[in-house]
Amino acid sequence: MSSCFSEYKDTIQEGDLALIWISRDNTKAITIDSKETFNTRYGSFPHKDMIGRKYGSQIAIRTKNTNKFAFIHVLQPTPELWTLSLPHRTQIVYTPDSSYIMERLNCNPNTSRVIEAGTGSGSFSHAFARSSKRLFTFEFHKIRFEQAMKEFQEHGLLDDNVTITHRDVCENGFTINKERDVTSCQEPGDVQLNANLIFLDLPAPWDAIHHLDKVIAKDEKVGLCCFSPCIEQVDKTLESLERNGWTNVEMVEIQGRQYESRRQMVRTLDDALGRLRDIKRRKIEGMERRKRQLESSMTEGEIKNENEKQPLTEKSEFNPFGKGSRIKEGDPNYKWKQVTKIESEIKSHTSYLTFAFKIVDKSRKEVAKK
Amino acid sequence: MDPLKTICAEQHVIIKLPSDNNKLVQLKPDTSISLGKFGAFNVNDIIGYPLGTKFEILYDGDEKEEQVPATGKFKYKIPTGKIKVLDDDVEKTEGERLENVVNSENNQHLVNLGNEVQKLSAEEIEALKEKSVSSSEIISKMIESHGSFDKKTVYSQEKYLKRKKQKFDKIFTVDYLSSSALLQFLIDKGDIQRIMDMSQESVAMLLNLANIKENGNYLCMDETGGLLVYFLLERMFGGDDKSKSPGKIIVVHENEHPNLDLLKFSNYSESFINEHVITISLLEFFEPPTIEDINKGFTPLSKDELYQLKSGQKNKYYRRLKWYHTKMDILKFSTEIEFDALIIASTLHLPSLVPILGEKVHGSRPIVCYSQFKETLLELAHVLYEDLRYLAPSVLETRCRPYQTIRGRLHPLMTMKGGGGYLLWCHRVIPASEPLTIQNPDVSKAIEQDIKVGEGQD
Repeated sequence: MSSCFSEYKDTIQEGDLALIWISRDNTKAITIDSKETFNTRYGSFPHKDMIGRKYGSQIAIRTKNTNKFAFIHVLQPTPELWTLSLPHRTQIVYTPDSSYIMERLNCNPNTSRVIEAGTGSGSFSHAFARSSKRLFTFEFHKIRFEQAMKEFQEHGLLDDNVTITHRDVCENGFTINKERDVTSCQEPGDVQLNANLIFLDLPAPWDAIHHLDKVIAKDEKVGLCCFSPCIEQVDKTLESLERNGWTNVEMVEIQGRQYESRRQMVRTLDDALGRLRDIKRRKIEGMERRKRQLESSMTEGEIKNENEKQPLTEKSEFNPFGKGSRIKEGDPNYKWKQVTKIESEIKSHTSYLTFAFKIVDKSRKEVAKK
Repeated sequence: MDPLKTICAEQHVIIKLPSDNNKLVQLKPDTSISLGKFGAFNVNDIIGYPLGTKFEILYDGDEKEEQVPATGKFKYKIPTGKIKVLDDDVEKTEGERLENVVNSENNQHLVNLGNEVQKLSAEEIEALKEKSVSSSEIISKMIESHGSFDKKTVYSQEKYLKRKKQKFDKIFTVDYLSSSALLQFLIDKGDIQRIMDMSQESVAMLLNLANIKENGNYLCMDETGGLLVYFLLERMFGGDDKSKSPGKIIVVHENEHPNLDLLKFSNYSESFINEHVITISLLEFFEPPTIEDINKGFTPLSKDELYQLKSGQKNKYYRRLKWYHTKMDILKFSTEIEFDALIIASTLHLPSLVPILGEKVHGSRPIVCYSQFKETLLELAHVLYEDLRYLAPSVLETRCRPYQTIRGRLHPLMTMKGGGGYLLWCHRVIPASEPLTIQNPDVSKAIEQDIKVGEGQD
């Protein structure tokens, strides 16, 4: 079975892992099963209505009671969409961070042999699996390991290029032995990791760094990134990196922001003045009317009152901003300016990214004579 | 030798200088490369070492200075020195040496005397350089002759040392010319406008959001002179010139001819690029030639007929054959293919461009637009939001904040580059064709309402 993450699929088929998009903050991964139904609070969507349709199709239904139109979109999962929908087992690495780490360490499907510790929720693992040649991921928490293993199996990653190992890398390092370790490794016996891209998302990366020498590639530049939320962790990591011969050390922080596209009503000074003038005019009119009423009631009694009351119901109020009524943003009867609004809650800090590099063997390769 | 791991002849590489400047060079064998005041070296001396290796240029005094015509920047051609591979431990000994120097708790007694504090004159320093004394010796002499070095704090002493090293060290690093390295080179060079103010973190996120893989067909507009295409190529093939992966980038361009100039620095062969990067002008993409027109313009010949042609006619025939294949490609990629992503870095008016190019994108596949300005993406986001074929357009920003990375003195750098651009990300979707009940006259209204329900207040 090829991974639903590695192949581009045209239509939704039985057994596929699909992503149901209900709204921006509500997406669900499902396995397509013609006997199943996907239920939302807007209504039920039988899987058989999805099968055979193109990925990206909107599936619409009429709700039973209200006969309202409700719909979902069925998407093929990508690592980035998966990151939005996945079950959180731990804090996850979000796309602004993961994409930067991958690019900075030149991650690509031709040369990158990646070590990731720990696996966590497997969000970054999916991105690494897509964009590297080989991924060795390590998780020390037994239950999280089993969940991740099952998930990777279902997603076809283990048949592709991913090996997951249950291991405390700080205690026991990174070497993998096929017979001893529960992995999906194809190679028999001791596995040559030859890793050239290391990502350590561990509480104490300094306990793992010295184990790396055994498993990293010898004859090329190896890149490393440690992902730590606290500055004290960075400080200890720097010490360990220096002691173990890692150079070109640099720490950075990534700040990702998302903007809502909104509209703000254009409200001019002239309109504001016009409105005030209108209020003033009506106020004066009202006062004069009352004065006249008072005078007329004194002279002619109350018969004429009916006629005088009429202007009160006049609807000529000047209301350029729709005050007092509910105006929908973008209402075509008003003028709007397009604006952006930053998310109401921003991820102000994810983690510090400490990068370092190492070449183990700096000896010269024989230059072929012409 | 593997050009992705090892320094190879004919390869384009990035050379990092002590001054933090970068130099892009091609390693022509049997030639020398001059690094200005940092010296010069023979290309043959560095071939075979791993990419990323740090070298020092050594002069033992018997190099001859060749007189060159006075038109050049330098009066003398810089003599080439010998090459030594630097061990990373060298840097640490510098720190140790500083410990032998007296330093001050604070800078209370430091008086700014300007140049007078340095007893060595500029001429004397030049003389030391002439004598080809090593950079660390020059720096040591300067510290000895510095009137108030002991009154500096240890931090300020280290900064002094770093500044002097940047000036006198004859050290350089040879690195692989990755797409990010090329980007950094262009930024340092001041070509910000040419690359649309694109930052590494923005293009990195673009690659991930567009789900770039080695097996996709990607529709791309690239106004950065090929930089974006190089990023795509590197993410798809990782420098593998012999890759069997079928992925293709279809570059649509607004001028008659494409500008992918920067690809000349890549280490992909021309034939590889021709196979995986197809360029089509906007006009031909939207108004492709018909199959009749193409067939009219070319009559295939049998082997025998071809054999009988004179060489001039034969060449003409092959030119015509190439034309035929080009046109067939245009026809195929403009009409038959549903693309696996749409990636745009263009200053054309996006609200009129993207919905039309978006029609060519397969359902469920991402669309990612880069722009230097948030406002142009905002306008696009409003247009796509109204269009049922595009799901959840979002305007995104990502910024990398570098730190001074020294133990005990970690803090964000005092200044950093502004800019870096913005991204718009959405997915192509296929709206449900017909509502399930037709009797309801308010169907269109209901759809409108339910978009708001479905997508919420995102």
